[in-house]
Amino acid sequence: MDPAGGAASALQLLGITKSYGSVVACDAVDLAINKGEIHGLLGENGAGKSTLMKILLGLVHRDAGSIVYGGKPVEINTPQVAAALGLGMVHQHFSLIEPLRVWENVILGDVGRIDRLAACRQVEEVGLRYGLPINPMARVEQLSAGERQRVELIKCLRRDPAVLILDEPTSVLTQAESAELFSVLRRVVQEENRAVILISHKLAEITAATDRVTVLSKGRVVFQSATGDTTATELARQMVGREVSLRAEAAALGVLPVEQYRVELASAEQVESASPDRPAALRLRELEVDVGGVAVVKRLSLDVRAGEIVGLYGVEGNGQSTLGDVLSGLVQPTSGSIELGGVPVELNRPGALQRAGLGIVPEDRHRCGVVLDMSVAENLSLKALGDIGGRHLLSRRKMHAVARRLVAEFNIVAPSLDAPVRSVSGGNQQRLVVARELSANPTVLVAAQPTRGLDVAAIEDMYLRLREAASSGVAVLLISTELEEVMELCSRVAVISSGRITGVLSIVEATAERLGMLVGGMAA
Amino acid sequence: MSALAVVVAMALSALLIATTGGSPLDSLNAIIQGSVGSPAAWTTTLLNATPLLVVAAGACISSRSGIFNIGQEGQVLIGAMAATAVSLRLALVGPALLVLGMFAAAVAGGVWASLSAVMHRLRGVNIVVSTLLMTFVAQQLISYAVNTPWLLQATRIGSTAPPPESNQIPVGAQLGSIGHYPQLQLNLGLFLALVLTVVVAVAMARTRWGFELKMMGLNPLTAQHAGVRVSRLGAVALGLSGAFAGIAGAVLIASPVGNFRLQPGVSSNFGWDGLLVALVARNRPIVAVPFAVLFGILRSGGNFVAATGVPSFLVDVVKGLLVLAFVAPPALADMLQRRAATAKAARSASTRSADLEGVAA
Ligand SMILES: Nc1ncnc2c1ncn2[C@@H]1O[C@H](COP(=O)(O)OP(=O)(O)OP(=O)(O)O)[C@@H](O)[C@H]1O
Ligand SMILES: [Mg+2]
Repeated sequence: MDPAGGAASALQLLGITKSYGSVVACDAVDLAINKGEIHGLLGENGAGKSTLMKILLGLVHRDAGSIVYGGKPVEINTPQVAAALGLGMVHQHFSLIEPLRVWENVILGDVGRIDRLAACRQVEEVGLRYGLPINPMARVEQLSAGERQRVELIKCLRRDPAVLILDEPTSVLTQAESAELFSVLRRVVQEENRAVILISHKLAEITAATDRVTVLSKGRVVFQSATGDTTATELARQMVGREVSLRAEAAALGVLPVEQYRVELASAEQVESASPDRPAALRLRELEVDVGGVAVVKRLSLDVRAGEIVGLYGVEGNGQSTLGDVLSGLVQPTSGSIELGGVPVELNRPGALQRAGLGIVPEDRHRCGVVLDMSVAENLSLKALGDIGGRHLLSRRKMHAVARRLVAEFNIVAPSLDAPVRSVSGGNQQRLVVARELSANPTVLVAAQPTRGLDVAAIEDMYLRLREAASSGVAVLLISTELEEVMELCSRVAVISSGRITGVLSIVEATAERLGMLVGGMAA
Repeated sequence: MSALAVVVAMALSALLIATTGGSPLDSLNAIIQGSVGSPAAWTTTLLNATPLLVVAAGACISSRSGIFNIGQEGQVLIGAMAATAVSLRLALVGPALLVLGMFAAAVAGGVWASLSAVMHRLRGVNIVVSTLLMTFVAQQLISYAVNTPWLLQATRIGSTAPPPESNQIPVGAQLGSIGHYPQLQLNLGLFLALVLTVVVAVAMARTRWGFELKMMGLNPLTAQHAGVRVSRLGAVALGLSGAFAGIAGAVLIASPVGNFRLQPGVSSNFGWDGLLVALVARNRPIVAVPFAVLFGILRSGGNFVAATGVPSFLVDVVKGLLVLAFVAPPALADMLQRRAATAKAARSASTRSADLEGVAA
């Protein structure tokens, strides 16, 4: 059962092919997963990773190819079949029902009598066993993205799947949470002889956590190797087909030592000196926000000046999501104000922030960033309907013209402009949101976890765009849980902890220790 | 699949008629003869289809915004009452009376539906529930109005108590027919219904308002983020669907189907059936046109079925089966497939667990 030496294969995919119209999502993919291994699956946005896994789960029906499981060919037509066979998957996007409680979500789909106590106990047990603590009575709508991910994991793990598929599970976890998850996975794989398929864009994770790795590109397997025999650079090259600067990626993924470029940055660019006396483009003043009677954001004040990138750094679940909701116009603060260019915004008017020049890439794009069942073109225009028609009528032709331009400019890969956003790969959905927000020429851009789900090349591209935006005079607020990302991009870092800002440091002063103390809620 | 489902529905209907002692063929013949067999039959069919289409067009609006108004039956009644009141009380010349009656009906139906929006806003009352319950309130209200002399009850002639219905509305307030074809009358109401349907279709597909409506129905948070006042737009959509139902009520009163007078049963399920038309057309107004005609056929033909010795309520059963035939196939297909697959998996799972035990040991 040594993963390195040809162990028995748990699962084999042979010649799996799937096309959507002219798009070949999977092109004769062969893949063997061994028992007792963690198998990494890499590939650019839209390479076909999620599609391949959905085929395995019976969610998508393949055009050709076969699946061999436990030595026997199997037909997996529905998720129920997959579950009965012992295949479990945590999807790239959440599939939880928000108004329900955690335990209710976990047992959803079970048949038979509902036993709340037993379900709660099970949630706690599984959580304990895998290091995923969660309150089973909490309502999902009140959980942060990281906590929701835990619920998804528990939902899947409690069925003791023989093959566990994780589609970008860590994109919403903090590094510590990810590390914890991987040690759990490692234990499960070794002791219980299961198999794990791990999809991730974080090369560092893949190299650290997997035994073997497969790279998909445009639906084909282009590279396969034991993880020990390859490097992150090699993998990135295989994925993108060219050399990429791993630095941008490293920053987003957290593999470069922080101190190193702090020094580089300090000497290279003195961004913060660019505009010290101009009024702040974005000013948050004493914001207080209650959610369900609980103060989630407390007296939060922050200035972002034109041309600078300010990071709002902190551990998931410290009020960032709620602040994001306020900036998206979804939640009204109980007190405090938001000023753009020195003018207070009337927050109770829908769309006021956007009209005042604020663009936002929200943290959870499915929730409030896109309308999944509307087309790519419609989604690209939905915040600027004035641009594609008059006061009342809309012009389809103009809408398509806008969409064609943005799709080309931002390299969005979509089956067609009229395809629903649901059919576009996760990373491309993110590009779509970014394209829409940047094309509105905002004076302030808020980017919440903007590189979530993006591939290496796209992260590079995203950083470039954020920097370009800043250098063209946009005030950028980067809300991020990745220390290195903040260090790479920002000239100042504000640290948020339990809903308040515990300190603002210029990048030169920001050391990992000081930030760490602020994150813990201590003054540094 | 849909075609198959319709065939199954027909077969079931035939079986049902046969078991209750009727002849399916005769019934079918009666339906066809009574609905499309002659110009006069066509006249009745189209008269019946008209209010259905108006209700359906309105239902498309609210459903598109994700708000489910199911109280059309009551809104039709309220609209009918408003139109009757205007037609009987105001001393105006013909066309003005007609237009004003329609207008009053639209306002009344709209306000009636909006009450549910208000209840939702103030007390969080579920809209589906409140629109439904308001239908029963509307029924009582109409019944009261036509039983109360100083309201809308017919004037007393001699010493006999008048029936619980209103007077007939003046000829000027009635919808006339257009064109002169022997036997076939195309009621003005039909054109009104078609125009309204086209307007709704264009508004939903081509305007900014329609875009926002759709966005709100599919993802209210994104809509709010994009600057749509979702609660207001939702209330507008609900009010409009009520207004359409109200107009349908006015059309009923002003056309021969409603006998030109307000009676407690005047809505005779036009509200419910109109909602079904929208459901079957999956909220696409233009698609609702043929379905409204189909339902009109069942209504006008259904009256003739009784003559063949089949209880006329069976027509309702047939209608129900047809609705299921159009709405159910996708859900059904999915379910069947799932069934088959689970059964298969259960079989292979039993062999697999044996494998796994081997591994664990
Ligand atoms: N339902 C669908 N209809 C049409 N095209 C689809 C559909 N689902 C996926 N595709 C296309 O198939 C391709 C592969 O998509 P997939 O979601 O598998 O990518 P991915 O590798 O998971 O990417 P990401 O890293 O961005 O999540 C994409 O080009 C996508 O547009
Ligand atoms: Mg994916």
